[in-house]
Amino acid sequence: MTARPDQDGDRQLRLLGDAWDKAAEHWRDGPARQFGDGQLTPLLQESRTYLEALRKLMDTLEAADRETEG
Amino acid sequence: MTGIHADIDALKGLHDALVRYRHAQRDVTARGEDRLTATRASLEAKASRLRAQLELGQAEYTACQDRAAQADPDDPVDCSGYARAVQQNSERLEQIRLWQQRIDAEAGEFSGIIGRFADLLENDLPRMEEHLVAIIASLEAARRVRAPVSGP
Repeated sequence: MTARPDQDGDRQLRLLGDAWDKAAEHWRDGPARQFGDGQLTPLLQESRTYLEALRKLMDTLEAADRETEG
Repeated sequence: MTGIHADIDALKGLHDALVRYRHAQRDVTARGEDRLTATRASLEAKASRLRAQLELGQAEYTACQDRAAQADPDDPVDCSGYARAVQQNSERLEQIRLWQQRIDAEAGEFSGIIGRFADLLENDLPRMEEHLVAIIASLEAARRVRAPVSGP
């Protein structure tokens, strides 16, 4: 069974977070902080907003399919 | 050697992760859109079938009512089954119409959010990747300059 797209998106978000944590262990200078605060954090936040909206929409679509069966 | 270039290796790993993320989330957005399109089409097909059944059911109910009006009072015609079928199909059709309205409303709200996210995937993420490539190149250049000269 194929996972829902929002679930796959969540998994990708976790993988990116893990990659950042790993990079941050070795990359701790000024540019690292600028990159993290100025670019990566907004990306992660916007991704969470999108994935939450996608999850809500997928829930609605599943409910519509289920409730109108038969 | 591992420790010396650990930061560069870590940055390369982060760069690769960003590229994978961009491709994977593009796929996620496309599948989300496909799912929305499929459910809309499925609801419309169900509504279309029900409209046809309702039309047929109403015609049968009307014919039954005509027969009932002309029937012998001692042998009445029962049309309640037709009436029930029309009522049930009307309710199911209304239920589908309400789901279609709800999905349209939620999809409308969603379109703004997906627009921002798609823009981020298409424009911001490639810029971040390029930024990291530049940082990696800069670090590698600095290491080459600082590398000790060995020789006789």
